[in-house]
Amino acid sequence: MISARNPMKDKVAIAGAATTGFTPHNSGRSQASFVAEASIRVLHECGLTAADVDGICGSTPSAASVQKMLGIPDVTWFANPSIPFVNHLAAAASAVHSGLCETVLVYHGAYRLPWNTASSLRDPFRRRSTMGLGLGGPGPETIAGAVGYTAWASRYMHEHGVPKEHFGLVAINDRTNAAQNPAAAMREPITMDDYLTARMIRWPLCLFDMDVPVDGADAFVVTTAERARDLPHPPVLVHAAALGMIDLNEEDQTPGLGRHGQHVTVEALKAKSDFWIDDIDVYFPYDGFTIITLNWFENAGFCGPGEAGAFIEEHWDAASNRILINGRIPVNPHGGSLSEGATQGSGHVREAVHQLQGLAGSRQVPHARRALVTAGGFFFNAQGVTLRRD
Amino acid sequence: MASAADATSDEELVTRFPGFPVDFDSAAHYRGRLTRRLLVNRCDACGIWHQPPKPVCPACWSSAVEARRVSGAGTVHLVVFLHQGPPATGVDYATPYPVVTVELDEQPGLRLTSTIVGSRNDAIVIGRRVTLDWIERDGTPLPVFRLVDQQPRSTDTAGDAGAAR
Repeated sequence: MISARNPMKDKVAIAGAATTGFTPHNSGRSQASFVAEASIRVLHECGLTAADVDGICGSTPSAASVQKMLGIPDVTWFANPSIPFVNHLAAAASAVHSGLCETVLVYHGAYRLPWNTASSLRDPFRRRSTMGLGLGGPGPETIAGAVGYTAWASRYMHEHGVPKEHFGLVAINDRTNAAQNPAAAMREPITMDDYLTARMIRWPLCLFDMDVPVDGADAFVVTTAERARDLPHPPVLVHAAALGMIDLNEEDQTPGLGRHGQHVTVEALKAKSDFWIDDIDVYFPYDGFTIITLNWFENAGFCGPGEAGAFIEEHWDAASNRILINGRIPVNPHGGSLSEGATQGSGHVREAVHQLQGLAGSRQVPHARRALVTAGGFFFNAQGVTLRRD
Repeated sequence: MASAADATSDEELVTRFPGFPVDFDSAAHYRGRLTRRLLVNRCDACGIWHQPPKPVCPACWSSAVEARRVSGAGTVHLVVFLHQGPPATGVDYATPYPVVTVELDEQPGLRLTSTIVGSRNDAIVIGRRVTLDWIERDGTPLPVFRLVDQQPRSTDTAGDAGAAR
């Protein structure tokens, strides 16, 4: 059932967003240290102290750990949602709107661990973590987890007969954009030749089809729209949010690319939101794998099934070597997960906030007022949020 | 259907399948593997199959779900070739390792993921028919698939040709 109810619309705001920046190497720092740095930075920027926070929301470290690490005196609500990151924002906004709390510190630590990069195993402090391993069994005979996207990429190519270049355009766009983002992990531009000759990891996807495991963190302050108007930065209103999922959400049982969590997310957002893709100034489709981005273009309604690559070619700005939809709307201007770093969506939301606040520096989209973030993939993790400047 | 494997204790079952999600709902499936029987949950009330094992039938909510033997015949639905992956006895990623999701003949959309043995990688494409086979890994049977010797179904080859694997 998809409901158009949205009493929270424009009642809750993101008052600020901050990042530590991201590094594609084992940094020699803990995940907690990055979360602390980003959290302290966003609270300073918003002119708030620990005592102003009465809600905490993030994945790891736990909300309880973050409270004691930052000496936040009393909280009346906390949660530890799973990725991707729209989940955290939706939970915090709901808690503020319902009155469970008033001002939430929302954080996300991106961290290089064995589930996303084997080279993290060289660090003994990272070896103990096994998050994401063993989902379908210990051997390689499973498509649970990240392999699921590769498997469905094979189906996408099979059903639509599209060339690998269509995937490559997503990677090149992100890398071009990351060159303008000092927080990004990968800022060297790449060519289609680079993409097509890159190391194959899991056919049909290569190194540049997969996001870059990084160390770093983002943090946000989520509060009532009224309270946010008294804080230093322009409020960004949470207009509509949805976490879409269908019943058959295992990687190998999901019915097909024609109906999965992204479709539910889009249907719900369109029902709840006053604006959609014709009205946005900047678009943030998730890009943990290039196949996910292609699917978001199609499912958000920019084009039909199998047509995302042709759509991107049609809207490619040769002068800047990136996507500009209708010559105007950039896509993941921060570089996305493929080039800023694998933030599981927090980077997309952070950049959306900065664009709508006018704080995006050399990447600023002139007069940006509305943004769409579509986070996550096909299975249990498709989510989206529409944001607008107050 | 009583067999020696049915008498395998829960304790022994988890030691035979280290790292696998063996629990109350999936134990019958793993016991079946020990005697090379591929068992998938089917609802006695409405007849719908589901996979992986769940405690109730997702279609009708009956708890009369039973692990039933499937033929293992099916059609390749998804294909991956791993150029790197988790360590496993007998798996050498120097030759990219095929992982396939097979749609079983018992019911549209009912799928099982494993590898394919006995074929060159360039023969493994979406749409190929497969049968069930078994290998041993670390002394425990593992269900795998083998290509049926036939051409791909018509219309099922677009996009697969000429790709580097």
